[in-house]
Formats: sequence, structure tokens, C-alpha cells
Amino acid sequence: MFARRFFISLPIFTFIYILQESVVTQFKLFGGGFSLFLIFALLWSALGTPEMGALTGFGAGLLMDLSQTASGPMGQWTLIMILAGFAVSYLGYGDDNFRGNPISLVFIVAAAVVVIRLIYLILGLFLGSDIGSTWSVFLSLFSSAFWSAALAPLLLPVVTRIHEALFDVKSRI
Amino acid sequence: MRNGGDNRGRLLLISLIVTALFLITLDLRGVQVITGLRNGSQSALSPVQSVAATIFRPVGNFFSDVTQLGRTRGEIERLKASNEKLQKELIDRKNADAELAQLKSVLDLAGTAKYKVVNAKVISLGSTSSFTQTITIDAGTNDGIRQNMTVITGLGLVGVVKISYPNSALVQLTTDPAFKVGARVAGSQQIGILSGQGTSKAVLQLLDNQTTLKVGDVILARGSVNNRPFVPGVPIGQVTSVDNAAGAVTQTADIKLYVNFSALSTVAVVVSAPKEDPRDALVPRAPVPTPVPTVTIYAQPSESPAP
Repeated sequence: MFARRFFISLPIFTFIYILQESVVTQFKLFGGGFSLFLIFALLWSALGTPEMGALTGFGAGLLMDLSQTASGPMGQWTLIMILAGFAVSYLGYGDDNFRGNPISLVFIVAAAVVVIRLIYLILGLFLGSDIGSTWSVFLSLFSSAFWSAALAPLLLPVVTRIHEALFDVKSRI
Repeated sequence: MRNGGDNRGRLLLISLIVTALFLITLDLRGVQVITGLRNGSQSALSPVQSVAATIFRPVGNFFSDVTQLGRTRGEIERLKASNEKLQKELIDRKNADAELAQLKSVLDLAGTAKYKVVNAKVISLGSTSSFTQTITIDAGTNDGIRQNMTVITGLGLVGVVKISYPNSALVQLTTDPAFKVGARVAGSQQIGILSGQGTSKAVLQLLDNQTTLKVGDVILARGSVNNRPFVPGVPIGQVTSVDNAAGAVTQTADIKLYVNFSALSTVAVVVSAPKEDPRDALVPRAPVPTPVPTVTIYAQPSESPAP
């Protein structure tokens, strides 16, 4: 079942990835803008089981690692996204009060984006990457939280509709 | 899995994490396949990115402009101010360059004749309402300038100091109708009186009726007793026409003055002159003609059509 869902999701993620790498990167937005792909992957993970969330994170992280803008070694994003996908899904799994509340989901996704980037940064430090000035890090994290909080409510209906259509699960919020 | 979970889900999670760690290890060890994957993905994406850039770049620029509207406006204002400042500096620089060129030429002239000079800047042009032609310079008695001192530029005689104040001086120009100076012709050493005419030309009247002038002769200041008001040897102008009227006692000639009085900005006042007369040492060198290339065109008549 996991493999089936994974391969069904793959074209969608590839499309979003191409959209992110070729279109979203054209916009020069405040604080470096947003990662449509990251928000999408987290929302997608939040709608499934923890195992599916981890698998979604694996696929998403693998694609993110393929990006030329990824500064770390191949697998860094994969590792972080496996854990993030699992954690986001785990938080809401079985708790209908949480999953049924879009505000909670938006908040979780926005917070997760910041935490994920922070962990990526720290892990990158351990692996010898340069991180730039503290101010630029702060600004980047702040702006990613802002953009995620702004975009997640817009993406959430779309993601839930696609998820429901593909897996025939009542996940619409 | 939430409540103890099944082993399958746990195994999946562990497998995925191990895979990720394996990928990191491989990449850090420099395995080429991993690098190739990343390069391959970029190669595949680049055409899409190019198309997207063509389509979405104007939109992206619009967003960029909107988000940076205040900053862009500020940047424009800052650039405008900077541009104005630079233009002013450029004008100042051009003025400075012109003054420097004049100063250099006057120092060359003074150096050749071994004059001791005080440089001064022209601070005003005298009013011509009373038909006088004067300038005011920014050096006066405090700088050692006294009445009846010769004023020159790199091209030649400008005039004479008429009144000297502590920090400025009034100079009567050679073009002033009341201006008169003893002059001599370079080479032949004929002497005469040169009078200003209120224009860029002056008139020279020779004292000796046995001598003759010709067009192109260079006229120099003859010099005064104790070098005041005029030091000897300063170039004044060049003969442009000679009046050979039959009834005239002596010959007169029109002199084109060397100095351009409409572009005076820096002058020098000769405060002392050497005991030796420089003679014709200050005569301006004749311009060296620039050879003009001759273009020869060979025309080949085309064959006329047969009738």
C-alpha cells in the first residue's frame, strides 16, 4: 500500500518540484521568498499516516537534494524531511480535533518549515557548510514562517482535494 | 504505531533514515553517481527554467518592484542627488582644468623670461558702461602687487595694474581705449606706440618713418624704466594689416592681440623682472603645419554599350 501511494504521489511532487525550481524561483520576494514544494510536502504528509508521512518526506527530500541550490550533501534534505514528514503526520494522526482544524494545520506547517530549515542549518554546520551572518539567517527564517503562514491556507484546500481524489480518503478540511 | 505501532511501519522509518544516512555518506565520500544525479536533474530542468524565466521574469520583476517600491524610490532620489553632485564636480573639474592650463602656460612664459610673478584669479570683469575695459583680480597689496605692474597670461600681455587694494587689484586691459604701451617688432627691433581700440585689435604706430612693417610681424612690449609699468619682451600680438597711406608721417598697423580677453580666468602679475632683457625669447613659436594626406582617386570609365 505504501509503495502504491508513493508512486501515485510521485508525479504530483515532481510537478510541484519543477514548478518550484522554474517558476517560483523567478520571483524576488521579501526574505528570499517561500518554498512551495516544502509547504506542499508538509501539508501532504499531515494528511496521511505517520508511515506515509515519512515516505512522503523521503521522496520530497530526495527531490530537494537534487536541486542545485541545495548546499549540503545529497541525503541531508532526505533525512530531515523523513523525520519532518513523520513528525507532522504523527502530531495529527488519530486526533480529529487537530486534523479537522485548518488553523492548527497551518500553524503546524508554518512552524515546521522554520524548524526544518533550522535543523538543516545546524546539520549543515556539522557537515561544514557556510551559513552566512546571523541576521540573514534570522531574516530568512522569519520570512519563511511568514510566507508559509500566508500560503498554507491557500494551498490547503487544493492539497486536500487532490489527496482525497487520489486516495479516496475523507481528508478534506 | 502511535500506540506501540506495528513493526512494519517502524521498519520502514528506520529503512528510510538509514537510506538517507547512506546517501549522505556516499556524497561526502565523493561518489560520482550522486553528483551525476544532481547535475542530471539540473540539466533536465534548465530548459524548463529558461522558458519559465522568459514567461515569468516580467511578473517576478513586477513583484520585486512592488516589494522594493520605497527602496527603489529612495534609490532613485539618492542617484539623482549623486548625479547632480557629480555634474557639479565635473563642471568644477573642467573649470579647474582650464585654469590649470592657463596657469601652466603663464608659468611657462614667466619661467622663460625669468619673471617673478604672482598668480591671481579674475574675480570680476569691469563694467564697460564708461567705455573702459578692466578686470578685477583676487590679489592685492598683501600679495606684493602694486600700481603699474605688468599683467600677463601664457599668451602674452593682458594689461597693467591701475589700482591696487589690500586683497584685490584693478587691471586695465590692453584693449582699453586709453591703454598705451611702448612696443617693438620682434627681429627688426623697430619701435612704436601700441594703443588699445576697445576691440580685440590694437593699433601700432611706428616712430621711425624709415622702417616698414609687414603682415605677420610679432609685436612685443618694449619695457619701461625699472620695468614699470611694463616689463620687456612680453608678446602682445601680430600684425594683421599695414596702413601705407601716402600722406602719413609714419606707418601704422593693425595688431591682433594674442590674449583672448573673453576667456580670462587666471593671470599673473609680474612683480619683478630680470635685469637682462629677454629680447625675442618669448616670441610664440609658429605653428607646425600638420601634413594633410592627399587622396588620389583613379576613375576607370565603364565600357559604353555598343550602338
